[in-house]
Amino acid sequence: MTIKHESQKIAQNFYTFAVLLFLVQVVVGIIAALQFMWPDFFILNFNIIRSLHINALVVWLLVGMMGATYYVVPEESETEIWSLPLAKFQFWATVAAVTAVVLGYIIMGLYPQANTLVFGTRLLNEGREYIEAPRWADILIVVSILLFLFNNFMTMLKTKKWTGIQGVLLGGLTVLALMYLPGMFYTKSMVKDQYWWWWVVHLWVEGAWEVIAGALLAFMLMKTTGVKREVVEKWMYIEVGLVMFTGILGIGHHYYWIGTPSYWLWIGGIFSSLEPVPLLIMVWDAFRTTRETRVVTNKAGLYYTVAHAIFNFVGAGLWGVIHTLPQVNKWTHGTQITTAHGHLAFYGAYVLLVLAMIYITLPAIRGVKEFNPSRAFKSFWIMTISMVFIVLTITGAGMVQTYMERLMGLDYVAVKANYNLWFWILRAVFGVGFLYGVVIFVIDYFKLGKERT
Amino acid sequence: MHSRIKLIDSLKRGLGSADTRRPFSVSNNLREVRMSNKGARNLFIFGSLFFFLIFIVLTFDTMGKLDKRAPEITEEVNAGKMAWHKYDCIGCHTIFGNGSYFAPDMTKVAEKKPKGYLKQFLMDPKAVNPKASMPKLGITSDEADKLISFLEWISKVDTNGWPPKPILAGAVGVAVKELTEGQKVYQSLGCSNCHMISGIGGTTGPDLTGVGSKRDGAWLSGHFKNPKAYVPNSAMPAYGHLNEKDLNVLTDYMVSLK
Repeated sequence: MTIKHESQKIAQNFYTFAVLLFLVQVVVGIIAALQFMWPDFFILNFNIIRSLHINALVVWLLVGMMGATYYVVPEESETEIWSLPLAKFQFWATVAAVTAVVLGYIIMGLYPQANTLVFGTRLLNEGREYIEAPRWADILIVVSILLFLFNNFMTMLKTKKWTGIQGVLLGGLTVLALMYLPGMFYTKSMVKDQYWWWWVVHLWVEGAWEVIAGALLAFMLMKTTGVKREVVEKWMYIEVGLVMFTGILGIGHHYYWIGTPSYWLWIGGIFSSLEPVPLLIMVWDAFRTTRETRVVTNKAGLYYTVAHAIFNFVGAGLWGVIHTLPQVNKWTHGTQITTAHGHLAFYGAYVLLVLAMIYITLPAIRGVKEFNPSRAFKSFWIMTISMVFIVLTITGAGMVQTYMERLMGLDYVAVKANYNLWFWILRAVFGVGFLYGVVIFVIDYFKLGKERT
Repeated sequence: MHSRIKLIDSLKRGLGSADTRRPFSVSNNLREVRMSNKGARNLFIFGSLFFFLIFIVLTFDTMGKLDKRAPEITEEVNAGKMAWHKYDCIGCHTIFGNGSYFAPDMTKVAEKKPKGYLKQFLMDPKAVNPKASMPKLGITSDEADKLISFLEWISKVDTNGWPPKPILAGAVGVAVKELTEGQKVYQSLGCSNCHMISGIGGTTGPDLTGVGSKRDGAWLSGHFKNPKAYVPNSAMPAYGHLNEKDLNVLTDYMVSLK
């Protein structure tokens, strides 16, 4: 298995950056977990550590998806990338911008007053969850994504081979770029602030990103099992279609309690309850395709692909739907239940997706026919078991919190410090376990194809 | 109408032939499959646009209704919101239940805690409550006032009844026996918003579970009238305006907590 087009190798730059950020994300995640027990334990306060944890996550997944796209589009278009220098420039510009933002967060953590107003916007940190990056960085991010999209569309135009997979992939990425814009203006009302903020956050992770995941899932199933393109593409259209039909108005489940009209209780309740349906179809799709295949060319790749489909459904689907009805959400909203859902959803839907893409495309990039998948399997099981237990402990904490704080009326701090202490301890322990799995993966990433099998 | 039937029809045929186990002649079925793929693709694209259009309409409707569901936003409130962003408060707290789940939700905090306490706490948390997790961020007196105005605005937004009133807290003690006069005053003043007795109540002020064995009646009633005279860093509001009877029954209740 080798690549057909030399310029596909650029994917590896993006993968390497993504993998390193993954490691950073998990290390700061453990610091954050320890701060639940000892808030003063680190020189940076929890808010900075958490910003790093969730921003590193979002950025490395995005960078990983970009790498995957630079691999998929030439493959599908059967041509070299339109401009390799532009892709390289876009890569290094992204690395530089991300580094600058991270330094800004650290400076702000050490000197909170440094986050001054410049031209009406914050210099270092916008103070809005997930999109903390300051406005100047927003603009750089948009420029980077536009360059990236432009390059890929030009590649597609070179041969005009319109395949469903790259069409949906680039469509999803375009929506992703557009949906970044509602987070780029200031509103005086916190209600409107959160209203537009959810456009970015929800329409990314429960809209555009799932569309990208659907396209990449189709690509990966096709590559690992040799299933017919017509078949995977049809199911892909149905999956991503249902993602959008349920997901767009499913945003209503974020508009229950932020000061928006009460009709959102109905809209959000109904549509978001249906959101797991396309994710279940993806699981079925992955199983059906795998079962019908005689020859699997890349066992580890297929393994991660199927695991992605399963945990996308369990994490994003099941763990989301349990608290999505307004009658339930009224009590669980803003508790650790949400944190548990967030962890399993991101792990299943997007972490495993990018890792699967890496395992499927990296051997070809490195020019190896076969590789020893033992480390890939080992890291998968250690990461997955650890993540499942992290999620179970936080779910437990969320249930205790919901009962004691919301139903009984106990104080937030009392519940957190006394009744949930054991959950925090266990979560940190499993966090270290997760880190162990990640380290094995990182070693495997750098060694794959470079050692004798 | 006709084209819609054709679309559904082609989609149905497409779904049937998706089963690869069924042997089929390639040349004939490929065309059929491609057609149905087109149908599925169009369904995806136009269906998504349809739902997005509904979403846009709902957004317009919502935007038109928001101002009636919240008080007017003054310059002071907006300045408070700017300070909220400046210190990245969302990095630990939640507001309307959205945020970081590491520290208490701020939606109703201005309703529950005395302003004086909030101000002192914002400027130097650990001086008010040594057990507080919140660091001293360098919030100025002016910024603290604005933040409090902002939080007051937040607490008045119509959030469809969130956060809900705890079901069980109201029931504690009521069914078992009649409240004493002192307990009634304790409840009516909202002391449990900040103080805890036997595990029920806030952690903002000191736990009062065994306060009767630490302090006597004279100390307690003097402290109610002027907390700062007894505890220099105290952020508790003075209750000198209480009438003599209420003050006495409250003091007696405190002394009884041994």
